[in-house]
Amino acid sequence: MKHIITLSAAALLLATAAHAEPGKWTDEPVRIVVTFPPGGTSDLIARLLAQYFETEYGQKAVVDNRPGAGGTVAADYVSEQAPDGTTLILGNNAPFTIAPTQFDELPYDPIADFTHIAYLGASTPALFVQPSSGITTLDGYIEKAKGDGITYGSSGVGSITHILGKAVDIELGIEQIHVPYQGSAPAIQDFRAGVLEAYYDMVALNGDLITEGETQPIALAAPERSAKYPDIPTFRELGHDIVIENWTGLSGPAGMDPAMVETINDTVAEIMQMPAVIEQLDTFGVAHTPMESDAFTGFVEGAITTWEPLIKAANVNG
Amino acid sequence: MEILSGFGNGLLVAIEPVNLLYCFVGVFLGTFIGVLPGIGSMAAISMLLPLTFYLEPTSALVMIAGVYYGAEYGGSIASILMNIPGTPSSSITCIDGYPMAREGRAGTALFASAVASFGGGIVGMIVMAVLAPGLAQLALNFGPTEYFAVILLGLVAASAVSNGSPVKGITMVVAGLMLGTVGVDITTGAERFTMGIPEMRDGVHLVIVAMGLFGVGELIVSIRANATGAHQNEIDYAQFYPTRAEWKAMFAPTVRGASIGSFFGALPGTGQTVASAVAYAVEKKVSPAKARFGKGAIEGVAVPEAANNSATQTAFIPTLTLGVPGSASMALVIGALMMYGIVPGPRLLVDHSDLFWGLVASFLIGNLLLLVLNIPLIGLWVRLLKIPYRYMYPTIIVLICVGVYSINNNVFDIWLTLAFGWAGYLMRLFRFEPAPFLIGFVLGPMMEEQLRRAMLLSRGDATVFVTRPISGTLIAITCLILIYAISSTLKARRARQKAQVAGE
Amino acid sequence: MMKDVLIRLRREQGAARPPHAYFGALGGGALFILSLVFIVGGYELGPGTLRRLGTGAFPMITGVILAVLSLAVMAADLRDTSDAERPDWISFAAIGGALAVFALTVGRIGLVPGVFLTTITASLPDPSLPFVGKLALGALVGLGCWGLFIGLIGLPFAAFGGL
Repeated sequence: MKHIITLSAAALLLATAAHAEPGKWTDEPVRIVVTFPPGGTSDLIARLLAQYFETEYGQKAVVDNRPGAGGTVAADYVSEQAPDGTTLILGNNAPFTIAPTQFDELPYDPIADFTHIAYLGASTPALFVQPSSGITTLDGYIEKAKGDGITYGSSGVGSITHILGKAVDIELGIEQIHVPYQGSAPAIQDFRAGVLEAYYDMVALNGDLITEGETQPIALAAPERSAKYPDIPTFRELGHDIVIENWTGLSGPAGMDPAMVETINDTVAEIMQMPAVIEQLDTFGVAHTPMESDAFTGFVEGAITTWEPLIKAANVNG
Repeated sequence: MEILSGFGNGLLVAIEPVNLLYCFVGVFLGTFIGVLPGIGSMAAISMLLPLTFYLEPTSALVMIAGVYYGAEYGGSIASILMNIPGTPSSSITCIDGYPMAREGRAGTALFASAVASFGGGIVGMIVMAVLAPGLAQLALNFGPTEYFAVILLGLVAASAVSNGSPVKGITMVVAGLMLGTVGVDITTGAERFTMGIPEMRDGVHLVIVAMGLFGVGELIVSIRANATGAHQNEIDYAQFYPTRAEWKAMFAPTVRGASIGSFFGALPGTGQTVASAVAYAVEKKVSPAKARFGKGAIEGVAVPEAANNSATQTAFIPTLTLGVPGSASMALVIGALMMYGIVPGPRLLVDHSDLFWGLVASFLIGNLLLLVLNIPLIGLWVRLLKIPYRYMYPTIIVLICVGVYSINNNVFDIWLTLAFGWAGYLMRLFRFEPAPFLIGFVLGPMMEEQLRRAMLLSRGDATVFVTRPISGTLIAITCLILIYAISSTLKARRARQKAQVAGE
Repeated sequence: MMKDVLIRLRREQGAARPPHAYFGALGGGALFILSLVFIVGGYELGPGTLRRLGTGAFPMITGVILAVLSLAVMAADLRDTSDAERPDWISFAAIGGALAVFALTVGRIGLVPGVFLTTITASLPDPSLPFVGKLALGALVGLGCWGLFIGLIGLPFAAFGGL
């Protein structure tokens, strides 16, 4: 209850607050908590932000990797820190939209225990099949799945590619055989070894394989076609309303000062528009969409509800 | 020819002063970090990652690679001097390295480790230069059934690592396999034996098991041993250069170890720990000096070091050519490359041949640097043994604590290390050895994952393991080894019984 | 005073040396019980089918093999008449205590004081180092860690105070 009151008070203040100047927001060094071990896209984005915070605005920042339990270890840690702007989390689907449904007992509330500061952007997954299978359209895929059945690889149980697979099962009325991997790279390895018939993965990370003709993209789970791969149709235009994106954003503990939130949001927005950063994010397949703090909070809330049935379906059937 | 010109160009890239400098920074930092228990190449690489923003991709990669194999080498120093593996893969080096140190031959052991690492590095480099495309193709032919078969082979080999009774060795391997299932089941997402503790969902980190069983367990044993003077040995500080006979004894094991290591390094996921364990087990079977293994055999130091260092080099093959990282450190390498917009994959060899060959050539330079850097330091390291143990062991405990804490910045990991440390001590009391347990623990989750995946993909048909050619061959080899091991044990027992009867 | 007690305790510990068989039963027995936990636990998690091996299948398979092996180990060890190792429960407790102290302090009062206390706890079982020496060693290691891990390596730990 207390959280809700502070949160709505903060929202009110936000609505009236004037736009802040981008820049440094605390004299202390900032700790950007990442939910993954070093090396992944999320970690690299955090390091990119930390670097720009320091070089462009003199805001000292360090990256703190706290992987574990689907990002909940990191989120739990951040929710317990002081809301003074020195501890932020580079959040994503895992701790904020998947975990609330996946785990029975979550030590934090994804909305009430956090100040969601700035949405950064999202990357989109697609469905890929073996080029040798002769399948080039979603209809062909459905036919194969309904006939002999089809095995598909995901980057893990409860990962967004698994959830996408479940969404496709439900929406297309088929039953694919799910084979989970730890990350998409080993799934792609088995796919190339010919033992796996299909997989779902971020389209940007498959650029080389697509050009080499090693993999055949069938459909994209984005609202619109990608500028880089305009040949891949979206599920939506094929008549199936499936949009599943891997978003990432910056959040802090609940009860942060609205003026500070505004400053961080504006700083991040400015960084995200620098050409060097845009180019960098492009290689990760992440496109930036600016979003204010309250819109971001609403986005997280919305994602939890829309994904709930999919996550439940994914957990029940393995 | 293409290889030679590629390598030549690579050498030119690698000896550019700036690359030379970063290569040096990498191996130096790597060695230093590797010596500290628990803090592996991961910590060092992520610490250097921000610096790589300002570097050319080749310089960055050369530096990261330097950290990686530098740490592998550094890990052996702590193993030999204190029986505490600086990195998990150097736990095998403890088996013979530490007894050598206790005999007062620490310097020789360190020297052997440096030379064998160098040899392993060079073999790994040659394998990478000549076979990278071929090995990548081989790895591509490895589906779940093949992985399962190779892991089974590795486990059978691993049970021979033990010095005590072979039954106890196998028992420890199986116990490792079993405890490896703790955590979230990656195939269904269900929690197993986590007792409702969130930190247990991801299982127990390998570093915690290695630090607990080897580091903490050993420490408890050695406190009294040192207090009562049982450990005191005369150390000849000047004497670390091996004798002619020792040189000769080391050569073949180094080459064998390096070849085995290269193979396991190229298979993503199996990694250096398995490479050094299997190489050690094989050597123990074929070596003319097998009786001395576990009691301070110089071959027992050379083999695992050659294997883990060559595996470290060849681990770059799947990382760069398939984009499949074999370990967390390799995932960091992929991450660093992606910062430059280079996506590791089949096109890397063609599109970025400078980078690839520069890296290969830097292995040569880096391993030379390691040798040059470390041989003069051997005298210094050995002198560490002169520090009275009453100052040393509390310091080591602190280093273990900080190292473990640095993995996830989570206090829970310290409590787990405490539990494994106590278990490690009890295992010593009960005459169980930690090395086979560690190998079972590393391979268990992979074995289960591949087994279940293979069954799922074959739709319940267990015959795939024998009908697919590569896995069928591997299974056949495993069976032969088992039959040989059982028959030789039975023969030995019969011979003993006969001798007893004759004696009576 | 404490030094004398420690020395006496050590001497007494060294006195009795039962045969290894005494421990043999304990080691194999502990493993056997552990394997039962995994077999029962695995069964409850569900062994699944041959095509879709369940969550509990692998723990059950390994559990059964371990149960058999641990009984074999127990049988062999019970016949072992060689001298048992001498347990050193003092060091066992002190090292465990040192890890516990580190776990309890590092996130609360910071790395340097945490390391200080950890070092002292670890050095307690060694009678050859006077208490002042233990204090000095603790301070030295604490400061050394500060310089090494926070200063040089830059790990994200707080030197003093909570995180």
